[in-house]
Amino acid sequence: MDGIIGEYKEPTDAGPRVMLTFYPGAFPVKWNQCSVAADFFAEYFADVGEGGLTEEAERRDFVGSVGYVLNELIENAVKFCAGGTVVIDAGVEAGEFVVVVSNQVCGDAVDGLRIKFAELLDGDPAELLMQRVEENAANPELTTSGLGFLTMLSDYKARLGWRFDPAPGNPDNALLKTAARLQVKSS
Amino acid sequence: MTDTTTRPSGSDTDIKGPGYRVWFDAPARTVHFEGVLRLSTSEYKPIEDLLDRVLLANPALALRMTELQFLNSSGINMLYKFAIAARKKGETEIKVHGSSTIPWQGKSLPNLKKFLPTIVIALD
Repeated sequence: MDGIIGEYKEPTDAGPRVMLTFYPGAFPVKWNQCSVAADFFAEYFADVGEGGLTEEAERRDFVGSVGYVLNELIENAVKFCAGGTVVIDAGVEAGEFVVVVSNQVCGDAVDGLRIKFAELLDGDPAELLMQRVEENAANPELTTSGLGFLTMLSDYKARLGWRFDPAPGNPDNALLKTAARLQVKSS
Repeated sequence: MTDTTTRPSGSDTDIKGPGYRVWFDAPARTVHFEGVLRLSTSEYKPIEDLLDRVLLANPALALRMTELQFLNSSGINMLYKFAIAARKKGETEIKVHGSSTIPWQGKSLPNLKKFLPTIVIALD
């Protein structure tokens, strides 16, 4: 079940780096805590990464972009978590914010996810986003918007990758690691 | 969601939750979005219903986003679906007021034109 899709890259110790682990068994992750965690990483790395962002507009853009992308990744991890921990591993190096968010998914879901991720990277994200919203409007009973990764690719120019590994201690699950990269200075 | 802290309160035209408020100013025909909106898809239902109602009842509408710091992808989905509903209804003038200093607005609001070509987007 292992394998890599897209541009998968993990943070290294070459620059500032922070890891945060949620233990859902002992400490249920509530929806609004996704937002709090995302904002912490955004604010933290705006100040420590490569001397910090001193231009107000650059800082604002970084905090907004990292906050958006990371909030989406953590929301996904919490929503689709099939047990085990949710881990956020983020750093800034070589002008990029790099993050990997990990969660366990059911082993049965892996093949479907692989296809979905490959489709996201194959098409034009702006076009796929338009199609998806039209589908959502035509099917109001849908409970997920499916716009998270598409907006990251289309509006934030994020580089995304995924990796599947065996889940530690649970042969029925797989460990899904989702990687995202953003330019620290977008322009 | 079972988390009661995220449950909205207020009336049908004034929806308040932790860190956000969405309300309709009827005389000004303006829906105000304020704070941080990062709800799950189903939690947007009261706001979607508000938008549906005011769209049906008004030939011209403004959405004021200048006080909305964050909107997650489920909220963006709601906004784009509103634009599609306005396109399907026809004969409705929609204007969106946003702020160029709020990053998500500069990145995601322009897409509204793809769903509703007649929409007017004004970024301060």
